[in-house]
Amino acid sequence: MLLSRKIKETIIKNIFFLSAAFSILIILFIFYFLFQQAFPAFQHSGLDIFGTNWNPPEGKYGIGAAIYGTIIVTIGAMIIAIPLGIAGAIFLSELAPSYLRTTLKPIIELLAGIPSIVFGFIGIILLVGYLHLTFDMLSGYSYLAGALILGIMAVPIIVSMSDDAMKAVPREIKEASLALGATKWQTIKKVIMPTSISGISAAVILGIGRAVGETMAVSLVLGNIMKIPIPPWNIFESKGTTVTSFIVTEMGESSGLQTKALFASAVILFIIVAIMSISSNILKQRVQKKFKGG
Amino acid sequence: MQIKKIPQYVLQTLKNTLNRENLPPKKVLCYSSIFISLVAALLGFFSTVFSFYIGDIQLQIILITIGVLFCLLIYYSLIKLHKRKESISLIIFTCIVFFLAYALPLIPPKYGLQQFEINAAFLKFMIVSILLVIVGIFGVSFAMKPLYNFTSKSNQSSAYFILTFSLLLILYPLVVIIGNIMINGLGGISWDFLTQDVIKHGAQGGINHALFGTFIVTIGTAIIAIPLGVASAIYLIEYAKAGPIVRIIRIAADILQGIPSIVFGLFGLAVFVPIFGISILSGILVMGFMTLPIVIRGSEEALLCVPKSIREGSYAVGATKWQTIRRVVLPPALPGIITGAVLGLGRAAGETAPIMFTASIFMAPFPTSVFEPIQSLSFHLLQLTKYIGAYPVEQNAWATALLLIGIVLGMNAIAIIVREKYRVEF
Repeated sequence: MLLSRKIKETIIKNIFFLSAAFSILIILFIFYFLFQQAFPAFQHSGLDIFGTNWNPPEGKYGIGAAIYGTIIVTIGAMIIAIPLGIAGAIFLSELAPSYLRTTLKPIIELLAGIPSIVFGFIGIILLVGYLHLTFDMLSGYSYLAGALILGIMAVPIIVSMSDDAMKAVPREIKEASLALGATKWQTIKKVIMPTSISGISAAVILGIGRAVGETMAVSLVLGNIMKIPIPPWNIFESKGTTVTSFIVTEMGESSGLQTKALFASAVILFIIVAIMSISSNILKQRVQKKFKGG
Repeated sequence: MQIKKIPQYVLQTLKNTLNRENLPPKKVLCYSSIFISLVAALLGFFSTVFSFYIGDIQLQIILITIGVLFCLLIYYSLIKLHKRKESISLIIFTCIVFFLAYALPLIPPKYGLQQFEINAAFLKFMIVSILLVIVGIFGVSFAMKPLYNFTSKSNQSSAYFILTFSLLLILYPLVVIIGNIMINGLGGISWDFLTQDVIKHGAQGGINHALFGTFIVTIGTAIIAIPLGVASAIYLIEYAKAGPIVRIIRIAADILQGIPSIVFGLFGLAVFVPIFGISILSGILVMGFMTLPIVIRGSEEALLCVPKSIREGSYAVGATKWQTIRRVVLPPALPGIITGAVLGLGRAAGETAPIMFTASIFMAPFPTSVFEPIQSLSFHLLQLTKYIGAYPVEQNAWATALLLIGIVLGMNAIAIIVREKYRVEF
C-alpha cells in the first residue's frame, strides 16, 4: 500500500518534470528547424547575408536593408515610447490616487492586449492618410508611420512593467527621504528612479524586443521594398522594410533559396530577441535580489 | 507738455500702474498665466491631431497674452520677491514668446525638404502646433515658480503637470482606436453579418467561418497550452529545488515568451505543415506553444501566492505531496491560474502571424476535420485591409475589427475581473 503510494508520487512528479522540460524542448526544436531551413542560405551567402544587396534573380540575398529598417523603426518607436512610458509609470505608481490607479492600470493593460492586426488596420485607415496630408509625402507609407505605430504599441508594456518596478521600491527608503525634508518629486527623482533603474531598463528592453518582433502592424504601414532609403535618415520615404515585415510579405510568393533566405532572417531575429529577453530577465532578477537582501 | 518729458511721463505712468498696491494679487496673476498656457498647449495638441491651423491673428493674440502676463510675473518676482537670479529663465522665456509671436506668422505655408532630396515637407500648421504645445508646457512650468515663491515645491508642481500631460498622450491613442472602431463598426454588426458566408471578397455577406475558426483555434490552443503550462508551473514551484535545471527551464520559458509571433509562424511552416498540411492542427500546435509561457508565468505567480504554512499544515496531517497540491494548493490558486490562461488565450485569439502560414486560408469552407484549413477573424481582417481601395470592403472591415477587439478585450476583461473578484487573501 505504502509502496504503491510512493510509486504514484514518483510518477506524478516525473510527469510534471516532463511538461516543464517541454519548454526547453520547444526552444531547441524551433532553433533547430529554423536553422535547418536557413542553412542553405547561410551557406550560399556567407556574411553577405548582412549586406544590402537583395536581388534573388542574381542569387544575391543580403537582408541588410531590412535590418537597417528594423533598427530605424525601433529607435523611432523608443523615442516616443520611453519618455511617455516612464512618465506614465511615475504617474501611476507615485502620483495617482488609488481610485485612479485601480481604473487606469487595467485600461493601460487592455491597450497592450489590442491585437496587432487591429493596429495595422487603424494605421492604414487613419495614420497613413494623416501623415500623407501632414507631411505632404508621396504616400503615407513610411518608416515614420511604422515608428509611430510601434511606439504606441510599446508604451503600455513599458508603463506596466516600470510601474511594477517602482512599486517594488521598499517603503522605508521612500519614507526616509521624505523624513529628511525632501519633496515628493525630489524623492521620485533622487531615490525611487535610481533604485528602480534596473527594473525600468528591463521594461525598456522588453519594449524594444516587442518592437523588433512586431509583424502585422508594421508590415501594413511600410512600403516593403528591400532598399535603404536615400538619404538613409529619410524616414518619409515610402520604400523600406523591416525584417519581420519582409518575411511576412515575401513568404507567400517566394521559393527555393529565397525562402531559405527568409528563414535565415528569422534565425537572426530569433537570436536578437532571445538575447534581449535573457538580458531583461537578468536585470529583473537583480532587482528582486537587491530588495530581498535588504 | 514738452516732448522731452514724454519718456519720463510714460515711465511714471508705468510705475504707477505697476505699483505694488495696484498689482493684482499673486494668485490671480499666476493662475491666469497657467490657464492661458494650458489653453495654448491644448490648442496646439488638438490642432496637431486634427490638422488645422488656428490662424495668424489668433496665434498672435494667444502668444502676446502669454507674453504680457509673463512680463507682469517677472516684474512681480523682481520687485516683490527679489528673485533676480531665478527670474532669468522667466525673462528668456518671455523674450522667446514675443519673438515667436512676431516670427511664426512669417513662416511660409510649406517648408519643403526637397533640397535634402526628401519628398516631404513641414507644413506651417505642424510647426506652429508643436511650438504651441512646447510654449504651453513651459509656460505652465514657469508660471508655477512665482506661485510657490521659487521653492523646490514649484519644481514638483511643474513636474506633476508634465506627467499628467503625458498620461493624456498615452490614453489618447486608446480613445481614438476604440472610439473609431466602435463608431464605424457598430453599424456593420447584425445577425446576418454574424451568420452569413463571405460574399464578393468580403464586400458583402458575413463572417461566420472566421468566427467559428477563431473559436476553434482558441479552444485548441487552450487544450494544448493549459495542461502543459499548469503542470510546468506546478513542477517549478512545488517540486523543483533551485538548481541548473530549473534555471534553464525558466530561461527557456522567458525566451519562448519573447519570440516574435512571425518566428512561430515560420516554425510551424517548417515543421507541422509538411506533416499535417495547412490545417487546424498545425495552427493550434503553433498557437499552443506560443501561449505556453504566458500560462506558465500566470500559474507560477498564482502558486507562489499560496503561503508555505498551509502546505506544511497539510503535510503535518499525513498528506502526500500530490494530495497536498491537489486538495490544498490548487483550489486557492485557481483564480490566478484562470487569469493567466485567459490572458494567454486572449492573445492567441488576436494573433495573425502564427496562423497565416499554418492554418488560415481566405474564404475557407467549413472544416470537417482537424486536418483542414480554416478562416479566422484576424486573418480575415488582414485580407480585408489589403482589399481596401480595390473592393468596397471598408464597412465589413470595421465590423470585423470591432468583433475581434470585442472578443480579445472581453477575454482580457474577464481575466482581470476574475483576478480582482476571487483573489484569496492569506
